Amino acid sequence: MEKDTLLLLEKVNQLSLSESERDTVLGFFEKRECDMEKLNAIDTENVERMVHVLPINTVVREDVAKKLFTRDDLQKGAPETMDGFWQVPRVVE
Amino acid sequence: MKFETVIGLEVHVEMATKSKIFCSCSAEFGGEQNDHVCPACCGMPGMLPIVNKKVVDLGMTAGMMLNCHINRTTTFDKKSYYYPDLPAAYQTTQWFAPVAVNGTVEIETANGKKSVRIKQIHMEEDAGKLVHDDWTGTSLVDFNRTSVPLIEIVSQPDLSSAEEVVAYLERLRSLLRFAKVSDCRMEQGSMRCDVNLSVRPEGSDKLGVRTEMKNMNSLSAIVRAIEYETARHIDAIENGTEELVQETRRWDDVKGKSFAMRSKETAGDYRYFPDPNIMPVVIDDAWYDAIKASLPEFPEVKKARYTTELGLGDYDADILTGSRALCDCFEGALAVCGNAKEAANWLISDCMNVLNKKQLTADQLTIDGKALGELIVLVSDGKVGRGNAKKILEAMFEQELSPAKYAEENGFIVSNDTGLIEKTVREAIAADQKAVADFKGGKEKALMALFGKCMKQLKGNCDPQLLRTMLIDEINKA
Ligand SMILES: [Zn+2]
Repeated sequence: MEKDTLLLLEKVNQLSLSESERDTVLGFFEKRECDMEKLNAIDTENVERMVHVLPINTVVREDVAKKLFTRDDLQKGAPETMDGFWQVPRVVE
Repeated sequence: MKFETVIGLEVHVEMATKSKIFCSCSAEFGGEQNDHVCPACCGMPGMLPIVNKKVVDLGMTAGMMLNCHINRTTTFDKKSYYYPDLPAAYQTTQWFAPVAVNGTVEIETANGKKSVRIKQIHMEEDAGKLVHDDWTGTSLVDFNRTSVPLIEIVSQPDLSSAEEVVAYLERLRSLLRFAKVSDCRMEQGSMRCDVNLSVRPEGSDKLGVRTEMKNMNSLSAIVRAIEYETARHIDAIENGTEELVQETRRWDDVKGKSFAMRSKETAGDYRYFPDPNIMPVVIDDAWYDAIKASLPEFPEVKKARYTTELGLGDYDADILTGSRALCDCFEGALAVCGNAKEAANWLISDCMNVLNKKQLTADQLTIDGKALGELIVLVSDGKVGRGNAKKILEAMFEQELSPAKYAEENGFIVSNDTGLIEKTVREAIAADQKAVADFKGGKEKALMALFGKCMKQLKGNCDPQLLRTMLIDEINKA
């Protein structure tokens, strides 16, 4: 992984790493990339893609609407609310 | 140099479900702010999603309607982005194994027919709504729409003009409404569209720099945006007015211009990864077959059948097949009354009239086709007059009812009591000698006046043909 990529990931993850932490992470990824190269060398042409490690599938629920919570209950832990809205620092694109 | 425009669309459609995709909150449009919310769709820690079966049903349905291959094992993934309308800081969507892939949609424009390839259809959750409050300088968040189920239909860049884009969107809307996947109401935001556009010299096989306009929700705005963006690209390439960059742009329909919004994220920025909280959805044969069997006839197939087999005119067939609700009601009525023309007339003139009065669209027609068929039979059997039948029809819009029973309860059954009709006719004649003289003198209209008075007296419960005959007989006797 290039340092630029790491800096971008820091930004989108809202992290800021020290230079030595960056070196550790980059070193880690260098090793993983070597592992990946070994995996990529294997011929997987006719191997079915694995979507999950266990042979398991999800349960589904019927489409029934229920009201189980009130707004007031949910907003009890909210730092700020206003007129039933959650209130957050202003964001504008 | 001549240029060609290359357009690909990402269309978001809100699915017609009662509840949200991963929790039981209501998915209904509107409502008081934060009234349709629970800890799951508010992104509270520790809440686990449970997949709504109907969402998968409708995802498959959409895939089949657009000739896609259905992935029998389909999985959900997390797409990270940090914004207050997305409380979990990721959107649950499908990236690695979407429900449907590799489809086609046939469109027709003045330039002929064209097949538009569908790359994939994936199921995902919608985000919440933000209101920016100038007074307090804060943003207010409403999570009602958070986790409302969506499908995103991603086309290949096969479209080359605004006209084709409109034809494609109208075709999608028609198919998805027919299959009851969504009501596809752009003005309510239940169908929204991202337009990816680039321009290249005609005949070139290299794609130009691509820009994306997000969240377009009206056909006319889409047309204007495509025309503007195409001209801007060509100007940049030919005259070097600006350097084109890959970016997301916002279309301002009032100003008639697009504006740069932010540099386009690449897939890497979203850090897609399999959602460990949702196991794969495995679609077995029984499930797949049930959805396959539930698919409706395509609108144009229905139209052909209505005109050739049922003898309806092109115009009538067009109106009926413009809406699945009209088709369902028509077919239900036809099964009971056996008269296609009558059933079509009742729907196209009478039912549409009531809908217009109520400011509803054809898709919002709720009356039962079987009941409409019974009403048509009552009229054709001469048991209920046409005027009273219309009153019954109006009542049918308010409540589910049996037309025969309702007619009886409200005194709408045509009387076969010739004694009563005769008495009414005599009284009318006696009361209006002038009309009698006028009619005898050759004024046809005079008969209509007498006819109207009698019909009113009889509260409309009289076979009009019988009344007319008896009137003329009595006048001739007088
Ligand atoms: Zn919820």
